[in-house]
Amino acid sequence: MSNDIDRLREYIRTEMDYPDHIEADVDLLKGDILDSFSIVQLAVWIEETFNLELEAEDLVRDNLYSLDSMLNMINNKRASAN
Amino acid sequence: MLSDQIQRVIGPFKEFGGFAGTLYILDRLLSSLSPQLRLQFYEMMVQPIPDQPIIGGRFANSIDIRRIEPGAPEIELMPARKDIIMSRFAQGAICLGGYTKGHLIGYIWLSFNSYEEDEIRCTYVLEDHAHSVFDFDLYILPEHRMGIGFIGLWNGTNKYLREQGIRYTFSRLTRYNTPSRKSHAHLGWKCVARVFSLKMWCLEIIIAGIFPYFSISFNRNSRVQLTLSPRALGFQHEQHYRQRGTLK
Repeated sequence: MSNDIDRLREYIRTEMDYPDHIEADVDLLKGDILDSFSIVQLAVWIEETFNLELEAEDLVRDNLYSLDSMLNMINNKRASAN
Repeated sequence: MLSDQIQRVIGPFKEFGGFAGTLYILDRLLSSLSPQLRLQFYEMMVQPIPDQPIIGGRFANSIDIRRIEPGAPEIELMPARKDIIMSRFAQGAICLGGYTKGHLIGYIWLSFNSYEEDEIRCTYVLEDHAHSVFDFDLYILPEHRMGIGFIGLWNGTNKYLREQGIRYTFSRLTRYNTPSRKSHAHLGWKCVARVFSLKMWCLEIIIAGIFPYFSISFNRNSRVQLTLSPRALGFQHEQHYRQRGTLK
């Protein structure tokens, strides 16, 4: 679980060029770390990395505003796939 | 308390820089004195319509784009006044809606040949009108913001326009709309011109970075014409014109 969140954190730090540590509950949208373009890139990366299929309806604020919310979405997708 | 006030003054400089920050504060001061006093600062942008989708995979096809015609139920969802919407249709503008699973997520208005600015007294004319549109009032429904909404709608609009041979979209951005500037930066925009307008009751002064550079008017019917060219895109534009054999 913590491994998953570390992968998400590392992706955002690398791809968004964000140098600081990102807390799991920090709002990445309010903090301008993610925007509407980077969210779609992130979604494609999540699909490939976690072997999931996301729908356009999954790309909403509630699922993507923090590392915690992303992990929650990933876990829900895994659970519904099984 | 004091730190809040200091922050309100310093904030615009930090966000917009010295020049734009000063104009922003002046505009706030003027509009607090009277709603008839405004200092506007616009950036006229041009974006190329790329040959390829701007998002890949399934997400690129997850948004359907359809024209919203006069009288369509979607018009009830638009925040703009109904008479304004009808006047847009009457001017020949079209509205494209983005849909996911049949639900509207947002829309964009497109004007061909020219666009009558509704905040200041000017008309934007598209120089390369056969290959250009002017986009305005792009709106994403609140529940679809910070999701697929903006990029999905833009991607679908690009596809619609590309199929009609359109190569460039022009937009007018308020200099102080930082989120919109960031979004357009992803689209490869270039600034065509900056436009400043000082409105004092019936008097309006416009200073623009393109011909005729300066205009003064005393009534609503007096409008300056600003011609927008895609030349700001540089090499890409020239290459396109060379291919057409009409490089100016």
